[in-house]
Amino acid sequence: MSRISRLFTFAVALVASAMPAVQASGQSGADYFRGKTITYIVATSPGGGYDTYGRLVAEYMQRYLPGATVLVRNMPGAGHLVGTNAIFAAKPDGLTIGTFNTGLIYSQLIRHSGVRFDLERMSWIGKAANDARIIAIAQQSPIKTYRDLIEQKQPVAFAAAGIGSAAYVETVMLTSALKLPIKVLTGYNGSDDMMAMRRGEVVGSISARSTWDPFVRNGYARYIAQIGGDQTDVPQLADLVTDPAAKALIALIRTQCDVSRLTAGPPDIPPDRLAALRNAFRLAMEDKELLAKAEKIGIPIEPAYGDTVLRLVTEALNQSPATIELLAEALTRK
Amino acid sequence: MIETMFSALYAMLTSPYMMGLMLLAVAIGLVVGVTPGIGGRLSIALAIPFVFGMETIPGAVFLLTMHAVNGTSGQISSIMFGVPGDGDDAATTIDGYPMAKKGEAGRALGASVTASGVGGVIGAIVFAVMIPVLEPVVLAFSPAEFFLLALLGITFIAFLAGREQIFKGLIVGLFGMMLATVGMDPYTGTPRFAGNFLFLWDGMSLITAILALFAIPEMIALAVKGGSISAVPVATAKYSYRELFQGVMEVPRHWWLALRTSIIGAVVGMIPGLGSSAAAWFCYGHAIQTSKTPERFGKGAVEGVIAPETGSNAREGGALLPTLFFGIPASSGMAVLMGAFLILGIQPGPSMITDRLDLVWTLIWALVVGNLIAVTFLLFIMRWAVLLTFVNGAVLVPYIVVMAVIGAYVSEGQWQNLVILVVLSAIGYGLLRFNWPRAPFVIGIVLGKIAEESLHKALELWGLKFFTRPLSLVLISLIVTTIGIAVYQNLRPRVTAQQPPVSR
Repeated sequence: MSRISRLFTFAVALVASAMPAVQASGQSGADYFRGKTITYIVATSPGGGYDTYGRLVAEYMQRYLPGATVLVRNMPGAGHLVGTNAIFAAKPDGLTIGTFNTGLIYSQLIRHSGVRFDLERMSWIGKAANDARIIAIAQQSPIKTYRDLIEQKQPVAFAAAGIGSAAYVETVMLTSALKLPIKVLTGYNGSDDMMAMRRGEVVGSISARSTWDPFVRNGYARYIAQIGGDQTDVPQLADLVTDPAAKALIALIRTQCDVSRLTAGPPDIPPDRLAALRNAFRLAMEDKELLAKAEKIGIPIEPAYGDTVLRLVTEALNQSPATIELLAEALTRK
Repeated sequence: MIETMFSALYAMLTSPYMMGLMLLAVAIGLVVGVTPGIGGRLSIALAIPFVFGMETIPGAVFLLTMHAVNGTSGQISSIMFGVPGDGDDAATTIDGYPMAKKGEAGRALGASVTASGVGGVIGAIVFAVMIPVLEPVVLAFSPAEFFLLALLGITFIAFLAGREQIFKGLIVGLFGMMLATVGMDPYTGTPRFAGNFLFLWDGMSLITAILALFAIPEMIALAVKGGSISAVPVATAKYSYRELFQGVMEVPRHWWLALRTSIIGAVVGMIPGLGSSAAAWFCYGHAIQTSKTPERFGKGAVEGVIAPETGSNAREGGALLPTLFFGIPASSGMAVLMGAFLILGIQPGPSMITDRLDLVWTLIWALVVGNLIAVTFLLFIMRWAVLLTFVNGAVLVPYIVVMAVIGAYVSEGQWQNLVILVVLSAIGYGLLRFNWPRAPFVIGIVLGKIAEESLHKALELWGLKFFTRPLSLVLISLIVTTIGIAVYQNLRPRVTAQQPPVSR
């Protein structure tokens, strides 16, 4: 036995031992999920946008993961923090994934005390929609355009959800960066803001367009500016301002709009399983039946997948200290 | 208008498909309602996939019926075992459970089930009547009024606690309000008394607190005492249909009260932002305040069962109004229902009244018919359910404790709530053991939060001037009158020198 033949045996053994590993990992992509149950965590209570998207995504991902069951579990609490922390802390075996508010990017940027996750490290599977932000003004108000708004002599009242919510953060940041004559009133949760507008308590709101469309269709309010989205009926806020700092901030909010209704899992899901999940998500988003259902409910589907979403999230998390300071300032009450 | 009204009813009653759907919806709604912690919200969210393929009207009727009868069955466990399913059932427990202890579970259930049905039907009528004046009425209530209404509710504590116990009542009520401050501060956005415990950031779990204060202490007391819930042995007690029927007849006997509390319930339901448990408590408070013999309450007064049940079912009719005609849901349950309506192709908004009047009437009738089916069904099976109150506690207690523990867990899915359940149960049992009133606690925790949030908003909007809004002045005068009556009753020389300690 020469050294060469020993080397050869070693090489054969190495290849032989590697082969099943290759085979196993080849199998463990989609096949791994066969007969398994995937928990899809929705970080809000049943009902509402996140739940609707979550259930739709879960139902159709199951279709493209043969033999797997995808169960939706609602885990509400602390403005999506409870559910997101749970997803992040889950075992990275691909059997726990979920959805939460993109606004948590803000919470991570300012190192909020409830944040026990790192969005950059999460296993991104995809996102289902864009959600443009709009500035809505009550119909009875004389403010018809963005210009009218900034020319107001007295501050006008705007409604916002609870402090710390994404809508609140965005309202306060825009108010201070664009020097808008706005007095922000908080605690208008759910559809309280629309009610307040009907009562005439508040004049406007900066909020997600999808929630406000029916209200505007009913003739109770109008839009004066928009961030993100591909609708052309409302001027983009970015075109209305010139200040570079304000533009940077609008760009940050724009990222939030572009990554909406996302699906992600804990860090370090094995690559082949993650690929299988991403593939199932993509096929779900392209499913004709899902699209028809979404159309019927009236929720938009504008998907993006895996690494694209990761890139968008990473970009959003990469903010200048000045912006972060502005954020932090927005979140502490003066 | 009249023609649409009756053709909608006719179309519904003559379609076997619709009636079959309604029966199914009533059955599901009742089963879900029995389990504490699972609200109507969840049942609708879970039913959504099944209504995807349905036609608009059957789908909407199915969901609405399921939602409307959800509260009807929660009272069964409240009355029989003292286990309230949610915040409004807790009001029924206060007089319902003492009735069961006296061996009158049949009468109490007969009355409460009928009251729910009557409330549901009157709620639907209020819905129909209010359509033209909806806008001015709903828009008249702003945060300033919410604050004063909550304050008015809190002053009811004075009556709830009874004459002997007003200070104990206030202490317990303030304890409830203290717990209501746990969680995110609505004004500054910092966690209060919650530290880094994320499960506390949304506030103390209401259902856990209620189960801990009512259900668990009663079960401990039953285990300590031995025997069955009913102190009257099964041989001498009445659990026949006759007993149930007597209960049913209590509602027409108190028709004036039932009518008033139904209207209060429907109006409270109509106003988005007051919270869903408020209606039952306002009605309960109203019943005591207007009673000639308020000292009977808490010891098994049948009015104390009728008032909250009419109120909580009438609320659903009221809550549907802003949901349908403004597209603004008045409660979280209605928000889910509205989401489902969108799926069915119903576009809530002011145009409903002109474009979809047939649908509006069908929904009103669905409320009426659904409630009637639920009442008939429950009255039929209740006779046997009542027997459970005569079962030995040793057999019953473990099951009920398990039910309460499950309820505390599933309402939010956080195990930490079980720790809260144990801690608060100890306090609850202490209150029960030493005859302190427990009802003010629920009022404190339910209304404390509304009071705080709306006070912040009102002050931000109008400063102290909000007290001078016309409707505010009316409410302030009501509050002053209520306090005046309470003070008068306390200072007045006692008619009965010695009263047995009251447990509420």
